[in-house]
Amino acid sequence: MKPDQQVPRNALVWIILSLFTLVAPHAERIPVWVLAVYVFAAIWRIMVYQGRWSFPGRGVKACMIVSSFAGIYFSYGSLLGLEPTIALLLTAFALKLIELAQRKDGYVLLFLGYFICITEFRFSQDLPIVLYSLLNVMLVTTALVALHRPGEHQFNRKTIRLAAVMLLQAAPLMLVLFFLFPRIGPLWSVPIKSHTAKTGVSDFMKPGDISRLSKSDDVAFRVRFDGDIPNSADLYWRGLVLSNVEEGAWRSLRYFDIPAAERRPQPVETSGEPIKYRVIMEPTQQNWLYSLRYARSDSRGVMTGSDYALFSPGVVEDERQYAVQTWPDALLEKSLSVWRQDIELRLPESENPATLAFARDLRARAGSDIAFLDSVMDNFTEQPFAYSLNPPLLPQENPLDAFMFQTRTGFCEHYAAAFVVLMRAAGVPARVVAGYQGGEVNPVNGTVIVRQFDAHAWAEVWLEGQGWVRVDPTSAVSPDRIEWGLERALAAEGSFLRDSPLSLMHFRSIAWVNTLRLRYDALTYRWQSWVTGFDRDQQFELLNNVFNGISGRKFVLVLIGTWLLVLVPVAFSLLRRRESNRALPHDRYYLQFCERLAPLGFERKPGETAASFAGRVCRALPAMAAQVREITGLYTELAYAARPSPDDPTLLRLKRAVARFRPARVIRFDREPA
Amino acid sequence: MQGRQYGIRNRFRRRFREWVNRRIPPARSVTLDQKRIFIFPSTTGLFFALCLLVMLITAINYQNNMSYALTFLFSTLFIVGILHTYANLSGLTIRALRATPVFPGQQSEFSLQVERGGRREHFALHLKWPKSTASIVNLVEQDQVQVHLHMAVGNRGWFSPGRLLLESTYPLGLLRCWTWIDLDLCAMVYPQPLASLELPGLATDQPDGAVVPIAGSDDFHGFRDYRHGDSMRQIHWKGMAHGQGVQTKQYNAYASRSAWLDWEMFPGMGTERRLSHLCYWALDFEGRNEEYGLRLPGVAIEPGTGERHRDRVLQALALYGIERRPQ
Repeated sequence: MKPDQQVPRNALVWIILSLFTLVAPHAERIPVWVLAVYVFAAIWRIMVYQGRWSFPGRGVKACMIVSSFAGIYFSYGSLLGLEPTIALLLTAFALKLIELAQRKDGYVLLFLGYFICITEFRFSQDLPIVLYSLLNVMLVTTALVALHRPGEHQFNRKTIRLAAVMLLQAAPLMLVLFFLFPRIGPLWSVPIKSHTAKTGVSDFMKPGDISRLSKSDDVAFRVRFDGDIPNSADLYWRGLVLSNVEEGAWRSLRYFDIPAAERRPQPVETSGEPIKYRVIMEPTQQNWLYSLRYARSDSRGVMTGSDYALFSPGVVEDERQYAVQTWPDALLEKSLSVWRQDIELRLPESENPATLAFARDLRARAGSDIAFLDSVMDNFTEQPFAYSLNPPLLPQENPLDAFMFQTRTGFCEHYAAAFVVLMRAAGVPARVVAGYQGGEVNPVNGTVIVRQFDAHAWAEVWLEGQGWVRVDPTSAVSPDRIEWGLERALAAEGSFLRDSPLSLMHFRSIAWVNTLRLRYDALTYRWQSWVTGFDRDQQFELLNNVFNGISGRKFVLVLIGTWLLVLVPVAFSLLRRRESNRALPHDRYYLQFCERLAPLGFERKPGETAASFAGRVCRALPAMAAQVREITGLYTELAYAARPSPDDPTLLRLKRAVARFRPARVIRFDREPA
Repeated sequence: MQGRQYGIRNRFRRRFREWVNRRIPPARSVTLDQKRIFIFPSTTGLFFALCLLVMLITAINYQNNMSYALTFLFSTLFIVGILHTYANLSGLTIRALRATPVFPGQQSEFSLQVERGGRREHFALHLKWPKSTASIVNLVEQDQVQVHLHMAVGNRGWFSPGRLLLESTYPLGLLRCWTWIDLDLCAMVYPQPLASLELPGLATDQPDGAVVPIAGSDDFHGFRDYRHGDSMRQIHWKGMAHGQGVQTKQYNAYASRSAWLDWEMFPGMGTERRLSHLCYWALDFEGRNEEYGLRLPGVAIEPGTGERHRDRVLQALALYGIERRPQ
């Protein structure tokens, strides 16, 4: 092996270090045995370094590769999809370490490391993860630098300095590219996350689903309104419309449930100024998008369903940003189609007989649909219904009967479902809507933060002349929930986020913690809206604002201009250093002295000492001898002393002596008479 | 067609060499500046560019902004790397020191000195002549370092090693920065010694038969105190181990005759052959510690013996008929 192909020990240490920091953020989503492979690989490589073990043979390597493929297959049940692919990549990364013998192996390993940094962003682009990734990039770059320092047999902490400097110099160039590089759509479809849990509201709602969601304080989405923020009680974030009831569970209509003619929403007449806002959703792995009714969006990839809910054709795998306009008073569906009427009235006839009978009785007494609706709501208020995150379990047989007349304790999904059944039993078209209600206003930047515990279910009723009208039976049972949010509604029960005692939401009473939390959330919003959510529209807007329109020529000019702005000083700082030439002051004075002798034909030969040079000069120019000897003496004294300070008296004497030393003048003066 | 292509290629090569010669003329010491340094992505760099492309496609396909950002960061790291790789060579001075004279087919040792211009650390400087051994040096603690490269030499005369390649891929390995330096450094190549059965018409002075102590002979004579310059082989190590101070063993030989090795001894032969025979006999005399002189057309070296004398004789033989150093 050529000596320059060896891997110095310093590089080996950096490589192993970066190996472990790279795998760390993936640890939660890969099988434990992959981590074991990392430890095993590191031990093996260190043993090889110490000469106790040898590099693996070809058979052993093949065996390891095959068994890691098999391992991934058994752990995930498939080799396809994003997670198995990444697990394979990570395993290959560890195995490559074992056979790291030459520099070119190091390249493969470290470039793979760079790629692994990128894969991490498929799962999160949050600020802490990004900062951590930057650290990883720095470590990998350091390992790359260390790989090119032959003969470093000691771990050298300082190697990181050059890597950091280079990355810092590259960063401004990267920013320019980041904002200028044209954003185009995907070139082809790519493996999606197959093993990541779906989050948020699902399209299938059983009693207990929403209450389970309400135990988490994760952010569902953030909203920024263009104008004033509407009242919290009006913030009903529609996500899904659940029209089908089957076996006690509500689900939304799937694409093929709907006849082709009904798939497009009926046109809606809008009037007046809409409420405008932008939503940034956290990834859910599901299709629906949240908005206030009635919502329209011009953003790319946002569509409106026949139930006026917004959805995305592809699942929301990453943070998703979209702009919405809402007309809250618009009339939705002036007339119901026969099919729609049928769907929104369908009810399993044999279940919950007591509830059905109760509804029909109430309707008969009410006289009109509106009066009936009021009396149902009154019933929720008057009877001892309770709002609870942990309601008693309902029986399998006729659960609604048990809820309506015995337990009378439930969470929003119980009330919404019961209400819709009562309506449908009496012949009033109704459906359940699932989404979020309310949200926390962040005073720092005026965004509304909607969290999982804001998940909510309510009802929509179709009334002649009014179209679909929102009715929230929970408001009859627990007005606090709508007005103040879940925490206040559950104050008596004390069940708010009981399972996550460390949640920052518990420390809102401590002012500085709360300020910090809200500031961080504002930073997250800014990060999401300007960096991770930066898209074609924003790019267009930015370029228009800053550069007053875009053209190919301008693009190139800006790119070159900004790059030169950074690269020229960098080049200057790198190449200037050799000019400084480490000349110490006394060296400089002495060189000046030599320069003044040069025109008279005295040049110090290479290897000639100051003393012998002085001797030569003195013999030829006796008139200058005293001065030459003085200067040489002072210089020799300084040259052998420790690094003199700038105000050293000897140094000052040398400086003055050299300043006085004018051989050319004196010699000419001497010669003239002759 | 083949031949013509070859011709074109050759012509192109010659043109390139001429261009490089104009750009980097030969000198005893060369300081590297932008005129002399070339830089281009290395094979690793091209591979990395391919990796960048894969990363960019990943970023595009997943519409992932942070992936874009990292891909761009790596790309610009590549750009910044140009300056750093360049700076690793810039400001270095390469000084030709010496080349050991050798016989044809032997390895000459070429010594160079690499000096840095500033305080900047230089790593992984890879030095090599086209056919020599390679050497890798760092300039970290010290300001200069000596490099010794070995190369098999050609025929008698001055052997020029060609252009020295100095290259480095430090710090990232993505870029290769190199320069071809024509150092004014040649190795002297002695004639190939060629035995002849006897020395025809040996011109001897009077053999005097006096016993003279000559270093390197066979018969042990006695000890004397070590003098600077005595051969290490003749130091009386045993005595030294017994604490008797450093002494040198002396050997005697009978200086039988002193001979003139003459150009005219080998009539009718070609120049090289004559020189080869003369070389053989010079070494033979030297080995036997007999005095010998050399007479070539225009050159006469008085008889003598010893290393310096031998070097003078060999140099005269090596450079006979050669005007000056090749450029």
